[in-house]
Amino acid sequence: MDASAAKLLGAGLSMGLGAVGPGIGLGFLIGKALEAIARQPEVSGDVRTNMFIGIGVTEAVALYAFVVALILIFVAK
Amino acid sequence: MAEVAPGQGSTAVVERRRSKLRRVWIGVVLVALVALLFLPGGAKETFEVSQEFTLHPIVKLPKVGPVDLSITKAVIYLWITVGVLAVIALVVNRSLKAQPGRFQYAIEFLYELAHDGIAGSVMKSGCDTWFPYIGSVFFFVLTANLIGLIPLPFGEHGQLAFYAATGNLNVTVVLALFTFLFTQYAGVHNKGPLAYVRSWMPKGAPPFLREFIFVIHIVSEVFRVVSLSVRLFANMVAGHAILAVFFAMALIFQNYAIAVVLQGGSVIIFLFEIFVAVIQAFIFAILSAVYIGGALEQEH
Repeated sequence: MDASAAKLLGAGLSMGLGAVGPGIGLGFLIGKALEAIARQPEVSGDVRTNMFIGIGVTEAVALYAFVVALILIFVAK
Repeated sequence: MAEVAPGQGSTAVVERRRSKLRRVWIGVVLVALVALLFLPGGAKETFEVSQEFTLHPIVKLPKVGPVDLSITKAVIYLWITVGVLAVIALVVNRSLKAQPGRFQYAIEFLYELAHDGIAGSVMKSGCDTWFPYIGSVFFFVLTANLIGLIPLPFGEHGQLAFYAATGNLNVTVVLALFTFLFTQYAGVHNKGPLAYVRSWMPKGAPPFLREFIFVIHIVSEVFRVVSLSVRLFANMVAGHAILAVFFAMALIFQNYAIAVVLQGGSVIIFLFEIFVAVIQAFIFAILSAVYIGGALEQEH
């Protein structure tokens, strides 16, 4: 396997595997938030704000994988 | 139908004529799609996603040291963002009415969201002190993200292209550094430098654990800059890359039919990108507020 093929393979793998964890995490996070809102609709505003903060933090992990993929494709020699 | 409207007979005729017209239209579209399937390929051009993000100098300026001062589309998008924000602020400020119109109501809604929803909801004290920064970050990122979704003629050869000011790591790192600096300033200003640094160590912890947590806190404090900037940057770049790929389907598949069908997908992606633009501005502002608020009342 030559270097460019390995580079592309690594980029695809990093993005794909890097999306698994945040995907599971986001599922848990939003599911629990919806559960909380369904149980106590009167605090839905607070729950939603905190949910978005959590989404931002969780999603960042997937985006690191994306940046690594970009680096592998465009920067790595 | 209990009541018979006076002009009902004629509307029924119009309705029938319309449905006939609709059937004709659907037939034309279907025939066109089938015809497209047998057309020989799209334009014979290659498509490279990374071209969308390379910065070509539009106005060439000399280098000063290591810094290239040429005006690229990133600079122009920043200017446009600042200009739009300034014009909106001036127009709204000049024409404030007690009975708000549609435009003023929208701006007031966004202001209230920034004030009560973002700064007020996560900062216990110091909301009024720090709202100017949080609010301007929110409006700047929101405007930059949304302008990034409007095709403007700043492509390589002056063609219409997408680019976002926040899709550039330099811009987002500067914004994140501002948040970092203001966080430290807020802590030092509120508690005094020594008490602020001491507040990074939990009081009741055993000796070695305390230093360990201190180091971890410093690392996390620095890493916040990375996560804050990379999150916004990667979101905008990923969104624009997906949009570019979907819009260039005709070039990638070399077939018109697939391209026409997948344009529907590009519309959905575009709507999702509008959502992402708003959410990312919200998240950037609210995380800035959380960090600054945390420095204000940090008691481990």
